[in-house]
Amino acid sequence: MLGIMLQKLWHKKWMAFSLLLGIILLIATAVSFPMYRDAVYNRMLQDEFQQYLSENAQWPTENKMLMVSKKDVGGKAISKMEAFTEGLFEELQVVGKDNIRYYSLAKAGVHSLMNRSDLSEVEVRLGYLSDLSEHVSILSGSMYSENGLTDAGEIEVVISEDAMVHLNLLVGETLEYDEFKTSDGSKVRLKIVGVFREKDSNDFYWEISSDSFENDCFMQEDLFQTYFTGENAGNYTITCSYASQFEYDSIDASDVDSLVKKTGYLLNESSYRGTMSRPAYYDILETFQAKQKRIDATLFILQIPVLILLGAFLLMISGQMYEMERNEISVIKSRGASRGQIFRLYLYQSIFLAGIGCAAGLPLGSIFCKLLGSADNFLQFGLTRKLDARYTLDVILYAVAAFIACVLMITLPAIRHSRMTIVNLKQQNAIKKKSWWETCFLDIIFLGVSVYGYYNYRNHTAELTERVLQGKALDPLLYISSSLFILGAGLLVLRIVPLLVKGIFSLAKKWWSPAGYASLMEIIKNGRKQQFIMLFLILTLSLGMFHATVARTIMQNARDNEAYLAGADLVLQEAWSTNASFASQTGQVEEKQYIEPDFGKYNALTGAESFTKVIVDRDATIQIGDGSYDTGTLMGIHTKEFGENTSLSDSLLSEPYHQLLNKLAVTPDGVLVSKNFSTDYGMKEGDVILFKNKDQKEARGTIVGFVDYWPGFSTRSILLNEEGKMRETNNLLVVANYASLGQKFGVTPYQVWIRVKDGYDTDFFYDWIEENDVPVKYYVDRSKQLSKVMEDPLLQGTNGVLTMSFLVTILLCAAGYLIYWVMSIRQREMMFGVLRACGMHKGEIFRMLIMEQFFSGFLSIAAGFGIGKAASNLFTEMFETAYAAADQTLPIKLVTSAGDLVQLYGVTGIVMIVCLVILTAIVFKMNIAKALKLGEE
Amino acid sequence: MKKLIEISHVNRVFSIVGGEFQALKDINASIEEGTLTILKGRSGSGKTTLMNIASALDFPTSGTVCIGGNDITKMSETERENMRRRDFGFVFQAVSLIPTMNAFQNVEFSLRMAGIKDNRKERVEECLKRVGLGSRMKHMPSEMSGGEQQRVAIARAIAHHPRILFADEPTAELDSSMAAEVVRMFQEITREEHLTILMTTHDTGLMDAGDMVIELQNGEQICQTQ
Repeated sequence: MLGIMLQKLWHKKWMAFSLLLGIILLIATAVSFPMYRDAVYNRMLQDEFQQYLSENAQWPTENKMLMVSKKDVGGKAISKMEAFTEGLFEELQVVGKDNIRYYSLAKAGVHSLMNRSDLSEVEVRLGYLSDLSEHVSILSGSMYSENGLTDAGEIEVVISEDAMVHLNLLVGETLEYDEFKTSDGSKVRLKIVGVFREKDSNDFYWEISSDSFENDCFMQEDLFQTYFTGENAGNYTITCSYASQFEYDSIDASDVDSLVKKTGYLLNESSYRGTMSRPAYYDILETFQAKQKRIDATLFILQIPVLILLGAFLLMISGQMYEMERNEISVIKSRGASRGQIFRLYLYQSIFLAGIGCAAGLPLGSIFCKLLGSADNFLQFGLTRKLDARYTLDVILYAVAAFIACVLMITLPAIRHSRMTIVNLKQQNAIKKKSWWETCFLDIIFLGVSVYGYYNYRNHTAELTERVLQGKALDPLLYISSSLFILGAGLLVLRIVPLLVKGIFSLAKKWWSPAGYASLMEIIKNGRKQQFIMLFLILTLSLGMFHATVARTIMQNARDNEAYLAGADLVLQEAWSTNASFASQTGQVEEKQYIEPDFGKYNALTGAESFTKVIVDRDATIQIGDGSYDTGTLMGIHTKEFGENTSLSDSLLSEPYHQLLNKLAVTPDGVLVSKNFSTDYGMKEGDVILFKNKDQKEARGTIVGFVDYWPGFSTRSILLNEEGKMRETNNLLVVANYASLGQKFGVTPYQVWIRVKDGYDTDFFYDWIEENDVPVKYYVDRSKQLSKVMEDPLLQGTNGVLTMSFLVTILLCAAGYLIYWVMSIRQREMMFGVLRACGMHKGEIFRMLIMEQFFSGFLSIAAGFGIGKAASNLFTEMFETAYAAADQTLPIKLVTSAGDLVQLYGVTGIVMIVCLVILTAIVFKMNIAKALKLGEE
Repeated sequence: MKKLIEISHVNRVFSIVGGEFQALKDINASIEEGTLTILKGRSGSGKTTLMNIASALDFPTSGTVCIGGNDITKMSETERENMRRRDFGFVFQAVSLIPTMNAFQNVEFSLRMAGIKDNRKERVEECLKRVGLGSRMKHMPSEMSGGEQQRVAIARAIAHHPRILFADEPTAELDSSMAAEVVRMFQEITREEHLTILMTTHDTGLMDAGDMVIELQNGEQICQTQ
């Protein structure tokens, strides 16, 4: 059987090769998605941890527990907690980093045995810190000894520098507790053997307690355990603190679910052992999970069309293959081969091909994954940050599923064929029937559903935005609507084309040249065979166009918005000092005065083209209408400099940007205000409005113009209230001259808006901050914001998936179209021989084929273009809503790139040309006698 | 009677793997107008090769074929094609109808090919009636038997009033009564349409039907009987 199979495959090596291509692509595509997802989640997770670390200067993955073991209760609780904490890393399945224990007795009074006159009774806390010696340096005296006891049986203790000062104790001093007794009844005596200083005060180790240890005496750990815990625990009240950290870079995205679950469990269940504080990583991971869910769902939906197309490709090719082998199969069948045998032959063949496909598809998948992860715009692969593609369990599962799907799709048509004997075949050949989808009006149904979906969403855009704010994924129905639209319209075209051809045919039935006549007859009678490839072409092109528009629109709008909100290339607000600290010391109530930092240092910004002072007060109070006030943003600008450091597209404004700036410049007490002053509150140019800065200093200005948008100004805020309902508010903006604000408000903290020289990155800015020790209160780096947008897994993943889908479909389409044509010609070779024998010129045959190609290829391409364009215009905006950030301010604009179209149609054009070249070669090489011989076989 | 086809000193050599194969050796024959000539021989005897050369589908390696006094081996490809579509009709062994056209359209197609625009409908009907298929004009080839299809092919081959009808083993796939019927039809056509027919066959039972029989063996002409 294996021999027959290999021979059969070799005989049809081109078909087999195409099948293999389809399988490899299917498996590589199927595998690349989970691979990308896992990799990008890991990256995202690490980013989240690092962001927490840099924003809070605190290790994100730590656990803290506190338990007080009460006197008279016994030490059970302590041993329980110890068992719990010791197994914590294992329980959470993480790589431990630090594990700190701090046990202490209650603070109690001691007296010195040295009879010092300067030392009355003090209270000290006796305890131990695990591994203390590794974290301290001894300033005087020494560390406690190995067994922790002096020869006289006193407990050796060390104290901190602070404690030494605070308690006024000396090295060598012996203290005796008034209250605590050891198990043998003698009073507990401490001997101070050393004073230490923390090696590194930023060490996590010292966060074990918020206390500064200024009352603490630390003894040897084991000794503490023998003296005070275990069977002696009932005699003392012991406070046990436990803190541990684990490595966050060892956490894999796939571990997150179990880590969250376990931590949640521990938080709930730990109460009887003590109080576990809610660890920071718990919140980080929960947010991460929500994001992950959204990305998961979105990418899953987006990858469906390409997987379906790949499946359809396999079905088409295997269908073609059976078509060619029909005779063979029915002959074998008629000679008595059982259905099972034929089925097995094809099953083995599928498994063989799918096996090779897997072997090649898995490595190709990791290449796809890397490409996917480097796509920074549609069909652009500019991101350099590496993705760590791995073969996780998920990936293997996907590969197995894809493998099974391949086998099924290649084998299934065989079931139909294995049932057929030569008699059935002849009978079936005679029957011509309408496609099933035509009879049940699938095209109309699809279009109907999508149009319903379209209007439904049109009327509920607010709900779409709400979904986004609630962190939900792209609504599958929305995506399905767009896909159904494309599919339905494609099918409708297929329904119309035959009618069109018939119309053209009957228009000039009499005058058709033999070539035209023969080809039109071929299309009318055999057109159904072409439907599949035509649909394939239409879907590829229209989905390609639609996806290109969606991807570009999403990316571009996100970037434009980010660039707009940043205001300038760089924005820096220094932390200003005030006279407040001085005033509180002297007790005088004085007006708050700011002290302006040195502005001259900005001249040392090497990469700055220019910079300007901008007062930005987001907590200003602005009068709206008659006497009522609302909070808004107040800006003070040097008009000329502001214009130089910012830019705003005139299309966003009712008057050109520079004209507005000029209007403000010529009116010293003029203000530009946001559009809503006019639309919502009926104000006009020339009206005077009152406003107060956040220090409640008042000023007034005359309105000289209204602005729809302004650099850095977010026109509306969309927030979710507690019930999850969306609330939208229009923000207020007043832009005044810097000089006039200065006059009225005195010295006011300002931001510095900087334009970066062309070709400079912003490293100079950070160097400058470090060199000048600038106290940064707030800053924006536009380029960083933009790259963050580009690396956002949701946006980047969407773009990557759409780009890869596009590339895969175009490859499939090219291969599919070529195969279809070559096969279709080979099948009709004898027919062409007859026509040639009857005297038809080669040119006529060629024209015939061109005409057929026109009706299948060119019409499909034109339809694909039209449908793609329509789908883009109808659905892109809704898609964009699902991706737009909550702070989306700029009006969403549809972005199409002529380049995409050129690429799309370039590739298609090349395919068509290759097709033509092959056709020409076949037609011109055609040997009439040989072609006729074919018929005799 | 007038000589229509004159074949003189025709040789045909095919290049094959490892050498050459001489399919025809110095064939000479002349065929009169309005006759039914049978090319006889076993398979591999070269009869189809000779037929292909006579019908301007193939070229002889040497020698000439004159039709109506014109040497067709010297003609350009276009002239040969034009001659095939106007002056020749073809019937092939295997079914050669265009599967997407019904009987009527198949026959009409040869009129289109020959550039005949007038009275097409009448001529098509006449030809189909002549081959006894007047009632099956709207049938598709897949709806007809092999014999019926072959008869449509004959109607198609004669519809445009060709001068010569070439039939390569037209009866090979038919049973003997059907074969006899086809030959009878050929005899009738030569009489009524003033057509010259050259047909090949390996069926010895049909030899009597021909006005002339040319027998080939291993590429050599062994006899020509009147």
